Amino acid sequence: MSNPDWLERAALRAQRASWTLAYTLERYRQLEDRTEAELARDLGCTREVLYWLCLCRKPEGPDFDTQVTAITERHEVDLRALVDVIRHVEIVDALSERVADSNGEERPIQMAARDRVPGEKTSP
Amino acid sequence: MSFPSQAEEQALHERVLKKNESLASQDVFRVFMAPITRVLCRNRRKTKEEAHDAVCDVLMEYLENPERYLAHKSKLSSYLTRNAEMQVRDMYRSQEARQRREREFGEAIELRATAPNRSLEIIVEARHLVGQLEQAIQEQDRAALGLILQGERSTDALAKAMNLPQLSEKELRREVKRNRDRLMKTLGRIGKEE
Repeated sequence: MSNPDWLERAALRAQRASWTLAYTLERYRQLEDRTEAELARDLGCTREVLYWLCLCRKPEGPDFDTQVTAITERHEVDLRALVDVIRHVEIVDALSERVADSNGEERPIQMAARDRVPGEKTSP
Repeated sequence: MSFPSQAEEQALHERVLKKNESLASQDVFRVFMAPITRVLCRNRRKTKEEAHDAVCDVLMEYLENPERYLAHKSKLSSYLTRNAEMQVRDMYRSQEARQRREREFGEAIELRATAPNRSLEIIVEARHLVGQLEQAIQEQDRAALGLILQGERSTDALAKAMNLPQLSEKELRREVKRNRDRLMKTLGRIGKEE
């Protein structure tokens, strides 16, 4: 089945809402300076699949695993890489909020493992 | 693509309400985007892009606040379509208001602006006229003429600029008028000569 003509437009508009996966993926792209194509490659999917992911609610809460699994069962996407991207953005946002709370203004955060690609295995 | 049955819509709405199923929002787009877009394009004669933007905004709003939809009042598809139609109307109104503002601004600029070839002529003419005025009007009259050309109507202000002595109010008014008429006559004469 071909992708609908509204898909890319809808994915772009979904970035405005922080509860969407579109927001998280866009945030990750900015933090890690990735192009859309690079992000799709990181997640092991096509750009069209990336747009479909954008229309999902960001998995969270106690059903996190179930939600991520459901997404990866419907779309061909690397589960581990998707979890890494979501967690990465959550951690950066949580740290940013903490720094902002303690100083009254946001400061850039140095990420120790910034150059790690999602899904890449690290040596123990 | 047509709207789903009421039971299917209700099932989808319940999934959205739970907010713990990531794919539910994607399914809302899959189910409603195309049929509502078609309704907008047909009824409101909107372009596909305009309709897509309106439907996207409405679906996002619904997904953010699904509890605002009251299932006992109408079908979910009717609720979303109605909201999309209102969204299109709002978009059209704000677009129209912006165009009107831009048109009015453009007209104001057009009225005040002078053609480039004409502005050069005006500069030359004005310079020539200033030279003529300097010759025709004495030093002591220039301050009063300046005030008159700026639209000053106060007798006291004009009397001061004309260096008139202390006079009664009636005489002062008469003297200011006399001087004013004299200056205007001089201006009129210069204008006729030109």
